Amino acid sequence: MTTPHAQQVSDTLPHEPEKATLEGRNKVLGFWLFLGGEAVLFGTLFATFLTLRDQVADGPSAAELFSLPITAAATFILLVSSLTSVFAIQAMHRGNRKSLATWLGVTVVLGLAFLLLEIYEFYEYIVHDDYGMTTSAFSSAFYTLVGFHGAHVLFGILWISILIGQLMRKGLTVVTAPKIYVSAMYWHFIDVVWVFIFTVVYLLGKVV
Amino acid sequence: MSTHDLNEDGAVKHRHRQEGPQKHVIAFIFSIILTLIAFAAVAAGGVNTAFTVILLLVMAILQVLVQLGYWMHMKDKGHMIPILFMAGGFFVAGLAIIAALYWMWW
Repeated sequence: MTTPHAQQVSDTLPHEPEKATLEGRNKVLGFWLFLGGEAVLFGTLFATFLTLRDQVADGPSAAELFSLPITAAATFILLVSSLTSVFAIQAMHRGNRKSLATWLGVTVVLGLAFLLLEIYEFYEYIVHDDYGMTTSAFSSAFYTLVGFHGAHVLFGILWISILIGQLMRKGLTVVTAPKIYVSAMYWHFIDVVWVFIFTVVYLLGKVV
Repeated sequence: MSTHDLNEDGAVKHRHRQEGPQKHVIAFIFSIILTLIAFAAVAAGGVNTAFTVILLLVMAILQVLVQLGYWMHMKDKGHMIPILFMAGGFFVAGLAIIAALYWMWW
């Protein structure tokens, strides 16, 4: 099992196909380093937001602007999508390609729902509340932080969609499995960042 | 199982096989409860502000630990280097936040 470029479609796929090759294990390890870097990236955005959160100029404050029901809905959608992505990996470990593709599909649909909700939220702020990127330092920091997370969700949706296509075309192999595993890690990380966003930006925005 | 020799991951693999979806559903329900507590604390209002802030942060940290530990398998064996990478990332992130707040407002 030290074939680094195992291209063959194996009938007896190992239990954890994402770790069956050196290439796969390196991919997972390298992705952890990337996620550490992502944590730093979002850390700087949070630092900017926390520094500027009270600089609202003439615009509304966080407490006046945010609506908890929308944030709660977005939070539950993303949380459920994290669970469906766990189910996808469990299906992969059972070697069930159909179930894997289905759960990945559900994850993508939930990600889209989250994204649409965020677009609706931003649309409401910009069009109805006349509250744009340049209204205040707070608004700039808010749109940058939350928008950056939204961009990550969009990227995840595109990435997992492409992987579903590749899964259909090439099947579940020791080559495709690490890609799917790593995309699931990415998706969980998006949820981790969202936990901090709904706590620090929205909930704390309502409290202090 | 004997077609490959991942001896260093052997323990993980073994434990994995026993791991059904129940465990993840429990982690999910736990996350939902943490989220509900956080939102309820804010929606209820009127409570001591400092207490609410601490409660929210504790709920967030617990939920992140569930995500990282259970769903990203960081609690499993053989995850020392991932933990090192992520802890390093969170450390620098925390440093950036403290430094920015300190320089601007103190």
